[in-house]
Amino acid sequence: MPPPVKSAAASSGGNAPGAGSIYDLGYRHYEGARLGRRHAIASLYWYSLRSAFGLGRRPSSKIIPWALVVVALLPAAIRLGIAAIATSRVTPVRPEQYFNLINLVVALFCAAVAPEVIGRDQRTRTLVLYFSRALSRQDYVLAKLGAFVTALLALTLAPQIVLFVGNTFTGTNALAYIKDNWADIPRILASSGVDTAVMASVAMVIAAQTARRSYATVSVIAAFIVTSALAAIFVQDVGGTGGHLAVLVSPFDLLRGFNLWVFNVPETEGIVKDAGLHGSVYGIAAAVIIAVCAGLIQRRYQRIST
Amino acid sequence: MALIATDALTKRYPGVTALDALTLELEPGIIGLVGANGAGKSTLIKILLGLLPATSGSARLLGYDVATEGPTLRQFVGYMPEHDCLPVDVSATEFVAHMAQINGLPKSAARERTAETLRHVGLYEERYREIRGYSTGMKQRVKLAQALVHDPRVMLLDEPTNGLDPEGRDEMLDLVRRTGTEFGIAIVMASHLLGEIERVCDHLVVIDGGHLLRSATIGDFTGRTQVLAVEVEGDVQPLAETLTARGLRIVAEGHTLLVDLVDERPYDLIRDAVADLGLGLVRMEQRRHNLEDLFRPVSGPAGEDAHAAAS
Repeated sequence: MPPPVKSAAASSGGNAPGAGSIYDLGYRHYEGARLGRRHAIASLYWYSLRSAFGLGRRPSSKIIPWALVVVALLPAAIRLGIAAIATSRVTPVRPEQYFNLINLVVALFCAAVAPEVIGRDQRTRTLVLYFSRALSRQDYVLAKLGAFVTALLALTLAPQIVLFVGNTFTGTNALAYIKDNWADIPRILASSGVDTAVMASVAMVIAAQTARRSYATVSVIAAFIVTSALAAIFVQDVGGTGGHLAVLVSPFDLLRGFNLWVFNVPETEGIVKDAGLHGSVYGIAAAVIIAVCAGLIQRRYQRIST
Repeated sequence: MALIATDALTKRYPGVTALDALTLELEPGIIGLVGANGAGKSTLIKILLGLLPATSGSARLLGYDVATEGPTLRQFVGYMPEHDCLPVDVSATEFVAHMAQINGLPKSAARERTAETLRHVGLYEERYREIRGYSTGMKQRVKLAQALVHDPRVMLLDEPTNGLDPEGRDEMLDLVRRTGTEFGIAIVMASHLLGEIERVCDHLVVIDGGHLLRSATIGDFTGRTQVLAVEVEGDVQPLAETLTARGLRIVAEGHTLLVDLVDERPYDLIRDAVADLGLGLVRMEQRRHNLEDLFRPVSGPAGEDAHAAAS
C-alpha cells in the first residue's frame, strides 16, 4: 500500500478519526439502484458515440472525425453562401445529389472511425469485461452499431438539414419554400437513413473481423472503392443482365440508385443510368445488404473467443 | 447459501478436457484456486462468468444458475482477468466510471464510486492521465478497481499479481486481502503461486487436470502430517538400518530421516536407537504439510511411457 495520504476530505469525513488517513473513510457498500441491462446498453452506446468523435480522449483523436464532418458540410455551406450573395439565381444542390457529392468523405469516415468503435475492444481485449457483465453479446453489437450509425448521421443527415433550413431562409419567401418542398422532408430522412445504414453495416462487418486497426482501415476504404470500380467495368464493359446487376455490389452506386428512386428523379448519366434497373431493386438490395451485414457481425461476436 | 456450487461441471475442447465432472461446494470467504497452468482454473472462472458455456453439468454462483440467470447474476460479480484488458486512450477515471455504468450504476453514483474505488486501490493524481502511460502496477490497480467499482458480492480474480514486481505484488495481495476481510466481499482468486494463496486466502481449492484434488481450509493444508523428521549429528546410515530392523518405515532425505508415524512407538524406538549408537539428536519433530507438497512432480510412469514411445 502507498502511505496513507492526509487529505482535507479525510479529516472532514464523518467516519474519519482525527488522524485523517485516507483509509479511515472506510469502504461504503453501494445501496442504490442497479439499472441492469438496458442501462448497460445505453451506457455503451454513449461511450462508443463519444469515442467515435474522440470525446474524452486526447486532442489528436478528434482531428480526423471532426475534419471529415466539416468537409461533409462544405457543399451545403458553399451552396448557402452563394445563395446568400446571389439570391436564388444559382441552381440549388438537390437533396438526392448530396450523398453523391460526399460519398468518399463518408467512406473515409467509415475507414477511420469504424475500427475505433468496434475494433478497439478486440485490440485491447476489453471485450472480456463487457461480456462478463449484464450485457449479452447481441446487446454489445446493438450498442456499437447504433453508436456508429448515429455518428455517421452527422455526415449524411446533418448537411441535408443545414441545406434545407438554409434554403428555407436564404430564399425570398421561407413559407413558400417549405410549402413547395415539404415532401422532401420524409425523403431526406429515408434516403439519409438508408445511406447511413448501408455504409455503416458494410464498414462495421469489415472492421469487426480484425483487431488490427491498419488492416481494418485499408479494407474498409478498399471495399467501397474497389467495388465501385468493379461495378463500372461490369455495367459498362460487360453489359447484359448479369453485368447490369453488378451495379448493386458497389455501395456508392447502389445508394445513388436508391436516392434517385426515393426522390423519383431519373438518372441522366453514369452507370446507374446504364444499368437501367428499376428503383425498387436498389431498395431491396439495400435491405439485403443491411440484413446480411448485421447477421455477419452477430455471428462474428457469437464466435469471438475471449 | 453456498457461494459456488457446481455439479459434475465438465468442459471439453476438441482433444482436451479442461474440466472433468467437477463437483464443488464453497462457502463465502477468500478462496484460493490453485493449479498448474492448464489445470482448469481459468476455465472454471470463465464458466462462472458466463464467458464460456459448459459442455455438461451445472454451476451456481451466489445461488444463480450461471447458464440461465447470467445477466442478473453478473450485476453482483466483479472480474479481473489475467491479461491486459484496458483501453489505452482514456483515463482511469473515464474508464472505471464507464464500467460502473455498464454494471448498472446511474451516472452520478458511478462517478462517486469511481473516485472512492480508485482512491481505495491507491491511484491518486494519475487517475486523470491516459492509461497508455501507466506502469504495470498501476494498470493492475485499475483492473482491480473496475472489478470493485459496482460493489459486487463476489470478485473473481485471475492471477491478480501477474507481471508485478515483488513490491507491487505485496501491495496487490494486501489490497485483495483487505477487500475480502474488511469489505465483506467474497473473493475467488486463481494463482499458480502458493505463497500468494497462503498469504491471502482462508480456503483453498486445488484443481489438477480438470479434477478437484482437494478443497479445505488453509489450516488443513498446512497441518501436521504423520511423518516424523529426525535429524542427528553424525552418520545417519547406522540409525536408518537399526530403525528399519525394528520394523519402522524410513525414508532418508539428506541428513534427515523421515519416519512414518503410525502410532506412538517410533518416539521411544528412535530415542533408544540414538542412545545405543551414541549419536547426538539434533531435532525430532512432526512434519507440517507444505502447500508445495501438492505439486511435487509425480515421477510419472505416464511420462516415461510417452518418452519411450517417442524414441
